[in-house]
Amino acid sequence: MTAELSFSSEIVNMMYATHGNPITNCLQCGTCSGTCPAVEFMDHSPRAIIGMIRADLKDEVLASNTYWSCASCYHCTVRCPAGIDIADMMYTLKRYSMWKSSYKEGLIGPDFSESFVKMIVNSGKSFEPILATTYLPKFGAGQLVQEALTATGLLLKGKMPLLPKKIKRLKNFQRMVKRIIPIGEAS
Amino acid sequence: MTEKIGVYVCHCGTNIAGVVDVAEVSRWAGEHLAGQGVVISRDYKFMCSSLGQELIQKDIKELGLTRVVVAACSPHLHEKTFRKACEGADLNPYLCELVSIREQDSWVHTDEVAATDKAKAIISGGVARVAHHEALEPLRVPIHPDTLIVGGGIAGIQAALEIADAGFHVYLVEREPSIGGHMAQFDKTFPTLDCSACILTPKMVDVGNHPNITLLTWSDVVKVDGYVGNFAVTINKKARYVNEELCTGCGICWEKCPWKVTDDVFEAGLGKRKVVYVPFPQAVPKYPVIDAPNCAYFQKGTCKACEKFCPTNAIDFKQQDQQITVEVGNIILATGYDLFDVKRIPQYGYGRLENVFTNLEFERMSNAAGPTSGNIVLRDGKTTPKTVGIVHCVGSRDQNYNPYCSSICCMQSLKFAHLVHERTGAEVYNFYIDIRTPSKGYEEFYQRLLEEGTHFVRGKVAEVSNIARTPEEEGHLVIQVEDTLIGKQRRIPVDMVILSAGLQARHDAKEVAKMFGISCSADNWYIERHPKLDPVATMTEGIYIAGCVQGPKDIPASVAQGAAASARVLGKIQQKEIALEPVRASINEERCSGCRICNNLCPFNAILFHDDRMVSEVNPALCQGCGTCVAACPAGAISGTGFSNEQILSQIEGLLLLNVNGKLAEAVPA
Amino acid sequence: MKQYAYYPGCSLESLAKSYGVSTKEIARALDLDLREIEDWNCCGATAYFPVDELLAHTLVARNLAIAEKTGLTDFVAPCSACFKNAYYTNAYLKKDPDLADHINFALEEDNLHVDGNLKVRHLIEVFIEDVGLEQIRNKTTHPLKGLRVAPYYGCQLLRPRKDHEEVENPQFFEELLSAIGAEPLEYPSKARCCGGSLIVTNRMAALDMVHKLLQEAVNLKADVIATTCPMCNVNLEVYQSQVNQAFGSNFSIPVMYFTQLMGMAMGLKSKRLGIEKASVAGTPMLAFAQG
Repeated sequence: MTAELSFSSEIVNMMYATHGNPITNCLQCGTCSGTCPAVEFMDHSPRAIIGMIRADLKDEVLASNTYWSCASCYHCTVRCPAGIDIADMMYTLKRYSMWKSSYKEGLIGPDFSESFVKMIVNSGKSFEPILATTYLPKFGAGQLVQEALTATGLLLKGKMPLLPKKIKRLKNFQRMVKRIIPIGEAS
Repeated sequence: MTEKIGVYVCHCGTNIAGVVDVAEVSRWAGEHLAGQGVVISRDYKFMCSSLGQELIQKDIKELGLTRVVVAACSPHLHEKTFRKACEGADLNPYLCELVSIREQDSWVHTDEVAATDKAKAIISGGVARVAHHEALEPLRVPIHPDTLIVGGGIAGIQAALEIADAGFHVYLVEREPSIGGHMAQFDKTFPTLDCSACILTPKMVDVGNHPNITLLTWSDVVKVDGYVGNFAVTINKKARYVNEELCTGCGICWEKCPWKVTDDVFEAGLGKRKVVYVPFPQAVPKYPVIDAPNCAYFQKGTCKACEKFCPTNAIDFKQQDQQITVEVGNIILATGYDLFDVKRIPQYGYGRLENVFTNLEFERMSNAAGPTSGNIVLRDGKTTPKTVGIVHCVGSRDQNYNPYCSSICCMQSLKFAHLVHERTGAEVYNFYIDIRTPSKGYEEFYQRLLEEGTHFVRGKVAEVSNIARTPEEEGHLVIQVEDTLIGKQRRIPVDMVILSAGLQARHDAKEVAKMFGISCSADNWYIERHPKLDPVATMTEGIYIAGCVQGPKDIPASVAQGAAASARVLGKIQQKEIALEPVRASINEERCSGCRICNNLCPFNAILFHDDRMVSEVNPALCQGCGTCVAACPAGAISGTGFSNEQILSQIEGLLLLNVNGKLAEAVPA
Repeated sequence: MKQYAYYPGCSLESLAKSYGVSTKEIARALDLDLREIEDWNCCGATAYFPVDELLAHTLVARNLAIAEKTGLTDFVAPCSACFKNAYYTNAYLKKDPDLADHINFALEEDNLHVDGNLKVRHLIEVFIEDVGLEQIRNKTTHPLKGLRVAPYYGCQLLRPRKDHEEVENPQFFEELLSAIGAEPLEYPSKARCCGGSLIVTNRMAALDMVHKLLQEAVNLKADVIATTCPMCNVNLEVYQSQVNQAFGSNFSIPVMYFTQLMGMAMGLKSKRLGIEKASVAGTPMLAFAQG
């Protein structure tokens, strides 16, 4: 019988194919968190998250907003003295939490990612107004008004088309997606 | 004639026996290699112990063994031991073969059955090979009693004095105009805070006055010929434009010289010096150097102030570089380190933000003889900082730059913190990943700093900027860092930042290593013969290393290595002659076509070409037995003693178990 | 004339139309033949990797495959996120044959095959490296004298490539701005993040980042912030009003694509550069273009 993988091993395994060093190389020096422009909005700093993974604090990591607050600016990745691709680790944690369908209440990130995927699968292209419909309910009332104003402003400036574009060989495209993951028929 | 071979299988405690079934291997060798001449096969707990050696000697005498195969550790460790044991029993030592079933087998495998089979194959190879060994006699060459030391920092100085005091002659070569090295630039030394110059300059003076030391400053080694005991070294004495015979070091020339330039070397760019100069007042030797590229006379043909005022007519604008050759028996390399170039980390702002300083700049600044007379001030030369941030690990422990720990920065940074605190009363922040204080008195020094109230923030600094986000940050440098002990990003405003730049190998370390025929690590530090047991010798006989050239280290460790290297050299000198390994290449003149392919391949320049007879010949004293020429010779005219084609091919056959009676070949994994 | 496989990306059809039109205009003026690849799809931006890494690479690879089919060697993207995705997928395809096999299996459905042989480049690199500053200087008929520009590189144009000095303190944007007669400012936060898609998923975090960038540009008395990416441009420009609301600030600083500034310097009509479409009026900039 194979023993169940620890949480830390799961994450290390998921990051196996990345092009940085494994997170076990982390010195806990804090370069990532010292660099991060979004750290004030994270409940745990990126360095602390690495420590938590290594301590197998799975529930705490899944309940964290840290990786959903990552803007993928890669500043931590290029500075990390241990050569860890920390931005990629954030993606890995996003994937893990979506895979486990377990994330912090009130986050927009997971819904955003999911609707983004659905939209691309449906049209082959991304289109901002369609996206909005999925995540807008999560906004507070004030924000909703803001969003509507910004969107209207953009429409008036001719920055947004009224109808989304679709790619031509959409059927082929959807079959291609299906060969990777079985969500090709989502509508 | 059939050889009588004895096989000895070592357990090495559990090092080998933990994985390899040594009793089975021994039994097998006795049984299945009998056809190859094996008359006795034994296993023993520690073959290298005196009891183990006696076992071999007894068998040689009683059974009349003509060959011995020991299956144990790597030849690096115990080849000499077992050769000596054979010699003790009147068997030529080169008729003994040590095969490794530890490094090449038990340490690298976990499958016990396969490892046991592999041990059998390795021993089979050794047995097949040893039958073709020949009795060899070592080559004896005399050792020249003089020594060359390259590098006049504290490690080189220490080594030079030890050897010279023992009564032997030393040539000490230094690239800069004065000896003293980095230590001469420092103010205080940790952890005792004694003044660097106070403890260094007496030694420098001793070197300058010593009858057994020939001091060659402002000089470079350009060529090294020869081999242990008999090196011929060519040294280029750069033109000083000052006649050393006439100069009294009175100082009138540099007083009168009207030209000033920034001193990027000794003063780390913080101060200026004259164009004719000695780097610092206590310089040894006392003779100045004219900096020709900056000298008005050399550039425009005018001035000559120094010449006019020199009371002894010692200025000599016509002086030329001079090459001299010295003969020495041993060489010590003590060429030191370069500082990491902090500009490679742009986010720390050096060169862009004026109040960011390097550690060397700070050393000069805090030195009473330095450009600010020991006042710790901002770049404007007058403002005393109220807050100072000291950044550890700059360029060290970082895969983007140098992966290793520079080993001195923690203590150096603590020293800086103390000096700032003592002289300015400023708030001091140390930004560190780990505090490493592993030597005598170092932890106590750390305690002292904690008591002084220095702030310690655990976190590698992310960036230094001058962008204020709050009124408190206005007009300051801002150090952005995660305080990892509280898990928060902090922005700490300071007036001055000191970057503790790490140490790295000299920029030309690789070329110098090549010239002396030694090897460098990936980081270009010179590789010692053994990291624990032979830290100052190199793989090349007669070449020793001391100080930071071998890796980052502090003053006490450099001094210890300088002394250790000199002890090794003195030991060699006292031997008067040295026995060289007889493993050498030789050329069969009749088969040599004179193609000269081997001439340039030889890494030791040991092959000479006879123009008259159109054949090459190996100088056995220079040859190190590496085998490069043997493999390269298209005519197969070169053979290496100890590594003949016959020996190698039969060892391969043995490894493949091609000549074993029995069916074991199938049991051994491919 | 060298031809390039041009991948505009979704934003240039919607939010960043002015980037698209100005790119076309100056490319024509500088004899740069940008051939838009046929039937391209969205590259997944930054929102796709959280879902499935392999699919994310496959989406990018489809565009690379279409470009490879044209026989052109250079793949050019004007958007930094598209550029970064294409750059890395292209590199990984080459390094990781197993990944390439999986992707090519999926691409069969659209009769495509990818090798990862392209040279993936950002639009600004093409202007600087291939057209060259000399040629840009020659074509500058209306130098932007006295225009104080904060050159904003953003993230993914530079990172995660690791050639360090370039990553932390690049200079090429400044050189380009000097070539068109403008005055590039030393903008210390030029490579800090604008928040990217956090503007959707974590609004306050993104507004905070945008606020810091705007504040710094204003402190430097910049007339305009120049960008190389639709995402950066939108965050810095469109969300200024929200920043003002959140932080009680009063920013009104124009944000323009580098292609628009180049077009102005080359004397092209403002209408054709999409300058009127800006949320924060960019028209005052036109006064700097002196013929």
